[in-house]
Amino acid sequence: MTPQPPAPAPAPSDEAADARIARIGEVVLAVVNVSLSFGGVKALRDVSFDVREREIRAIIGPNGAGKSSMLNVINGVYQPQEGTIAYRGVQRRGMQPHAAAAAGIARTFQNIALFKGMSVLDNIMTGRTLRMRCGVLAQALWVGAARREELEHRAKVEEIIDFLEIQHIRKTPVGRLAYGLQKRVELARALAAQPTLLLLDEPMAGMNVEEKQDMCRFVLDANEQYGTTIVLIEHDMSVVMDLSDRVVVLDYGRKIGDGSPDDIRHNQDVIDAYLGVARAAA
Amino acid sequence: MVQFFFEVLIGGLLSGIMYSLVALGFVLIYKASGVFNFAQGSLVFFAALTFVGLQEKGLPFAAALVATLGVMIVAGLLIERLVLRPLVNQPPIALFMATIGLSFFIEGLAQLLWGANVRGLDLGLQDEPIEWIASRTGINVSKFDLVAAGIAGVLVTGLALFFNRTRIGRALRAVADDHQAALAVGIPLQQIWAIVWAVAGFVALVAGLLWGARNGVQFALTFVALKALPVLILGGFESVQGAIVGGLIIGASEKLAEVFLGPYVGGGIEGWFPYVLALLFLLVRPEGLFGEKIIRRI
Amino acid sequence: MLYREAGQFKSTYAADAAIFPIRQDRIAMAILLAVAFVAVPLLATPYLFSALLIPFLILSLAAVGLNILTGYAGQLSLGAAAFMAVGAFAAYNFVLRVPGLPLLVAFAGGGLVAAGVGILFGLPSLRIRGFYLAVATLAAQFFILWALTKVGWFTNYNPSGVITAQPMAIFGQPIATPPAKYLLVLTIVALMALAAKNMTRGNIGRQWMAIRDMDVAAEVIGIRLMRAKLLAFAVSSFYCGVAGALYAYAYLGTVEPEAYSLDLSFRILFMIIIGGVGTVLGAFLGSAFMILLPLGLSLVVHFLDDTLHLGVASSVASNVELMVFGGLIIVFLIVEPHGLARIWQIGKEKLRLWPFPH
Repeated sequence: MTPQPPAPAPAPSDEAADARIARIGEVVLAVVNVSLSFGGVKALRDVSFDVREREIRAIIGPNGAGKSSMLNVINGVYQPQEGTIAYRGVQRRGMQPHAAAAAGIARTFQNIALFKGMSVLDNIMTGRTLRMRCGVLAQALWVGAARREELEHRAKVEEIIDFLEIQHIRKTPVGRLAYGLQKRVELARALAAQPTLLLLDEPMAGMNVEEKQDMCRFVLDANEQYGTTIVLIEHDMSVVMDLSDRVVVLDYGRKIGDGSPDDIRHNQDVIDAYLGVARAAA
Repeated sequence: MVQFFFEVLIGGLLSGIMYSLVALGFVLIYKASGVFNFAQGSLVFFAALTFVGLQEKGLPFAAALVATLGVMIVAGLLIERLVLRPLVNQPPIALFMATIGLSFFIEGLAQLLWGANVRGLDLGLQDEPIEWIASRTGINVSKFDLVAAGIAGVLVTGLALFFNRTRIGRALRAVADDHQAALAVGIPLQQIWAIVWAVAGFVALVAGLLWGARNGVQFALTFVALKALPVLILGGFESVQGAIVGGLIIGASEKLAEVFLGPYVGGGIEGWFPYVLALLFLLVRPEGLFGEKIIRRI
Repeated sequence: MLYREAGQFKSTYAADAAIFPIRQDRIAMAILLAVAFVAVPLLATPYLFSALLIPFLILSLAAVGLNILTGYAGQLSLGAAAFMAVGAFAAYNFVLRVPGLPLLVAFAGGGLVAAGVGILFGLPSLRIRGFYLAVATLAAQFFILWALTKVGWFTNYNPSGVITAQPMAIFGQPIATPPAKYLLVLTIVALMALAAKNMTRGNIGRQWMAIRDMDVAAEVIGIRLMRAKLLAFAVSSFYCGVAGALYAYAYLGTVEPEAYSLDLSFRILFMIIIGGVGTVLGAFLGSAFMILLPLGLSLVVHFLDDTLHLGVASSVASNVELMVFGGLIIVFLIVEPHGLARIWQIGKEKLRLWPFPH
């Protein structure tokens, strides 16, 4: 008997699954014929897919397939040589990172990109930066509007801290935290921006089973509670199969699969390139 | 008029080679350990001062030279051991600031040991125009400058060959790229650094002797080192060829600007012109002419 | 025992966000301010004012300015003294050419002009970083001092290049005695330090620290790098400019470019390294250290001279000073890279437990 890997989260009941499917809306992000190269290296070749509102879309594939590059293109860190990205109806070749942030796209990174010199609370507060309007002078004087604004956003950030259960470390400098907690703080910072599209780059990498269960729960809750559309890169197949509504498979920069988790599981190209087959014990 | 232009140009180029010599010390250490050694200038000063100090105590030229070389090598080893090794885990900016502190320390020590009087340094070369050239073209080229440039050129070429053609040179380049990886393939890191600092000390000595003979051994020598910074920016921090080219450009442009632009704005341009030039250059090409483009992955 | 925060609960975010959340800190600060504003003017000697307290405060202000740029925003600058010079000369020209202009407005004007120049020399920071930027600030240092020396308009065509600063007066009251100058400087510095603390705790402070720690990520979460960096240069130069004006008017009495040399830039940088980069307290601690150290050293030298009859020359003292400064920078960077401010924090934490061992 081949041992089954433990499921990271209880399989959703049929009603819950139907409810999830019913919530999924129109296409909110359309990646059309995107090609990206660095010098001679082609990271992405003619990739097209779409993401619907409120769905959880996974991008999977072997290392070097271009998954992180794809996310970087979506939120403007890289500009593709060909193709367009259409987000919420606005089509463009690429956009600057802060324009992407202003449009409601937030993300986490493969190698944690937290601000190591600041506390957890301050890191998450930076996620609110786009919504803080008061000028430097008002902040220097700490009166009236500046004070109110700071406290108002503090309250919002505390909600997220409660949501992700990191109250006990809010004043700790981020550099001192364990890896799993740092990933959670990064998620908190992304959520603090109240994004409409959340890009997660291997959010469960390096975590043990318990931490993965927690993280899956948070991702699902963010999707259900805040209605956030989520695109995530992940290597753990059980997480991908259980969490996502649809999956895109990349290999050597090309799309080789696109569909529901079941379709992907049985797609021969995907199996050859990435998934492999479970061999029965001899 | 044309002759005057060439005179200024050649004079500038030659002094530029001498800047390259100082810049070379920076490049060596940066190539091998990724540290920008702000104290290189004070090492030049220290070397020159030690040499003339020993001479004053009665040592003959050759003995003083050897003794100073020994002192510089020991100083290099001590710096590597006491300053750099404890700081090896800190961000580059911390190391840079440590070398600023080191420069103050060395300057104080040099003056404490040998006093602060201005001294002349005699290398047997005179700062006179070369007859042969002057009589044929009417351009005055200083004998001293030419010989100094020659020495500097030989040194620079030698070091370039050393880095690119020898096994140790390759090891140095590996260490500069990635300490961990170099250790993993068995390169003896501490030995390499010791070699590098010793060579940098030697380069500082040569630079100190040449500059000291030219301008006299005084505290202002440390400012020459500051001039090496624009050289490095133009040439790239890790390139020996860059140090030469950068030095030539800075030396020439500095002198030409002073002589031809200076009178219009009251003179004294030399003090800031190289820096502003470097600044403008940085805006166009942040990594220098020969430097490597910095790529950051996220 | 004394320094316990047990029983002090915060029930609002406002209370949690206060500068001194612990009651004992508030009391200590109140006492410090009382001593500074009341006791010192009554008790200190003119020497203490002129040689120690006034330069300590002024250089602390410059150090706060540099800390904002280098410590919080991570933009290494070797040109702090040049911006001080701009502030001094601008203030001088304001007082000279605008009759009846209130002194404080002239100082603020000096700060604003310095801020403008700071933005100009900060533009390269949009493309270059790290010690490349340091070289760019060196360009500022050398160029600005050259310009202030050569361009006659700045010095009112004074042939000697050394201008006497105009006497100060506020609302008609002259400020000429050491205690008066001290109080003026103290008020300005205290208010500006408070403003700096507020800024660094708020949104702009976080933006600066984000840029310092990882600017690519900062951009991704929506921080506009250009705006924040230039703002850092502007605010920092404003602080240095006001400090420079005070340096000329309340300390030196003259307005001369040589007073704002590269050496001073390095000293201010050392102050923030030793005091603690990225903290407002660090600027004050570092400044105190740099002011007191030469004094301490000369005392030691005199003592050795008297008791051991070593016949130590004065040049020895200044060279030893250089060595000690340089050596201390290295020691601090090795042992406690966050400077005296962190040592102070560690001390407070130990104080929480005292007299118990753990």
